[in-house]
Amino acid sequence: MSSLLRVANITKTYGNNTVLKDVSFEINHNEVVGLLGDNGAGKSTLVKIMSGVVDATAGQYFWEGQEVENVNRTETERLGVETIFQDSALVPQMSITRNIFMGREITNTLGLMKLKQMDTIAEAILDSVVTIEGIKSPKQLVSSLSGGQAQAVAIARAVHFKRSLLILDEPTSALAVRATEALLDYLTQLKGEGVSSVLVTHNLHHAFKVCDRHIVMNHGKKILDLRREDTSVEELTAAVVGGAEGIRRFREQGSF
Amino acid sequence: MAKKSTGLVASADTQAIVKTSDEARPSTIIGKLLNNLQFVRGRGALEIGIVFVILQLLMIGYAIVAPRDFPYLDPANLSGVLSQDIPVLGILGIGVGILMISGEFDLSLGSAIAFCAIMFIKVTNASNWGVGLAAAIASGVVIALINGLLVVYTKIPSFIATLGLGFFWAGASIFLNGPIPSNMSAKDAPVQLFVGDFGSIRAQVFWMVAIAIVAWFLLHRHRFGNHIYAVGGNVSAAKAISINPNRVKLVTFAIYGSLVGFASVLIAVRTLSMQPNSTQDYTLLAVAAAVVGGVSLNGGRGSIIGMIVGAALIKSLNDGLILINADGYYIQLFVGLLIVLAAVINRRVEGSAS
Repeated sequence: MSSLLRVANITKTYGNNTVLKDVSFEINHNEVVGLLGDNGAGKSTLVKIMSGVVDATAGQYFWEGQEVENVNRTETERLGVETIFQDSALVPQMSITRNIFMGREITNTLGLMKLKQMDTIAEAILDSVVTIEGIKSPKQLVSSLSGGQAQAVAIARAVHFKRSLLILDEPTSALAVRATEALLDYLTQLKGEGVSSVLVTHNLHHAFKVCDRHIVMNHGKKILDLRREDTSVEELTAAVVGGAEGIRRFREQGSF
Repeated sequence: MAKKSTGLVASADTQAIVKTSDEARPSTIIGKLLNNLQFVRGRGALEIGIVFVILQLLMIGYAIVAPRDFPYLDPANLSGVLSQDIPVLGILGIGVGILMISGEFDLSLGSAIAFCAIMFIKVTNASNWGVGLAAAIASGVVIALINGLLVVYTKIPSFIATLGLGFFWAGASIFLNGPIPSNMSAKDAPVQLFVGDFGSIRAQVFWMVAIAIVAWFLLHRHRFGNHIYAVGGNVSAAKAISINPNRVKLVTFAIYGSLVGFASVLIAVRTLSMQPNSTQDYTLLAVAAAVVGGVSLNGGRGSIIGMIVGAALIKSLNDGLILINADGYYIQLFVGLLIVLAAVINRRVEGSAS
């Protein structure tokens, strides 16, 4: 397994406040990685740095082994990183089609959009990539969708454009149980098609089921990075709740 | 539902998250029509369009029954008032509306019109109207870009920044011209081209239609229009997909500025003069035209047809009230009510949509 994305010694400070301290890890090809941690652990900042929306104060970013000097969203977009931010992946006032093709519109030489073609493809995406209950037409505004439907549309968009790394920020928080199950299965399947994913979640049971590896963050530091077979839900819980101290106690006492 | 193999889909055999119910998608013509109506409604122009049609039917009906008391359809009214007032406000409404969709305001519009019109008159008097037109549009673009740069790079709310700059540009007009009117002669001005009288209709109408068509293609069909909606609707979603919001907003400011410059020429050629501080009313009227036409005050929603209907509604209501000899105060009262009504409708559309 070779590394798709590797970040080394990432530090991020906002004024006097250090939110990430010397964080290093890698995401391999064909891998689903769980990024876990309590609120304020630094997960969101890490996600923003990985997707190029926020600059790291210090640290390096490697893609397929090559260092990326200027990490910005245009660059990560080119590399194939797609982040589905919680609640902010789509524009509610725009149609599903326009959201799917936002920034990647199919146009003629004058830059005018080929809406018919875009609608047809959008409909096909909705039908066969990630079909979602109750969507009448790809022309429907995203504001008329439920949270779960919107989330699924955002995921469908990422899948359609064949991204190589999918970062999902709390993707299951808005989904119903059935849709969550399906989404998690789907991530496993994408792995087989060469798309790696990072699943940021609070829900350890969701994460444990599908992730090949788990990274636990605590107060801006990486405190655990283990393959699924080398850890357990209990150990991960101890790490998320108790931090490094929690892991130590869990390993000594078998509980925390 | 049969799987479509377009070859563009990542994996046709992928297991669906949740199956689509076939009944959800309408197949009858009426079903499709109702569906489409919902999409129109979502853009906020439907309700006000109905209000507009009802008002026009009432006024036209009254004008046919009592043409003497209510000469709404009189050629003098059509060409003298309606087809001069509506297009200017319509063009300004389009400029402000597009800017508002991107999530910004420009409250220096009234001052900018005076500045651009004075530039047009002075440059035309010094050389010819072609150069004058170019100077007016260039002034509009430069003023809007200065406003835009201030807003985009300092992150000051555009409401405040452009309110302040409005006073600055008003002062600049007086600096350029002094407080007296700036005049031009009819023989130097392209009167026929810009405000020519064709019986019941004026040249301004053709200009508005031409601008509306270009603006429609830009906003509703061009890639850039999609980015304007994206930036105004959800800036973080736009950024996440690598759209640069600052660039989109600056280009939108420039488009708005060029329309302000052009509208100022239509105003100057109509009156053949311009006095600093005489065009302040246009600021809020243009915002009102956009809002009445369904443009969201929060950005992300609106349509070109709505902006024109908004301008037409305000100006025809204004005209109708003048024709029944309503007092000036009542005119303000009704136009004010109309704006509040439109804002309430907008709010409800937004509420029901989210």
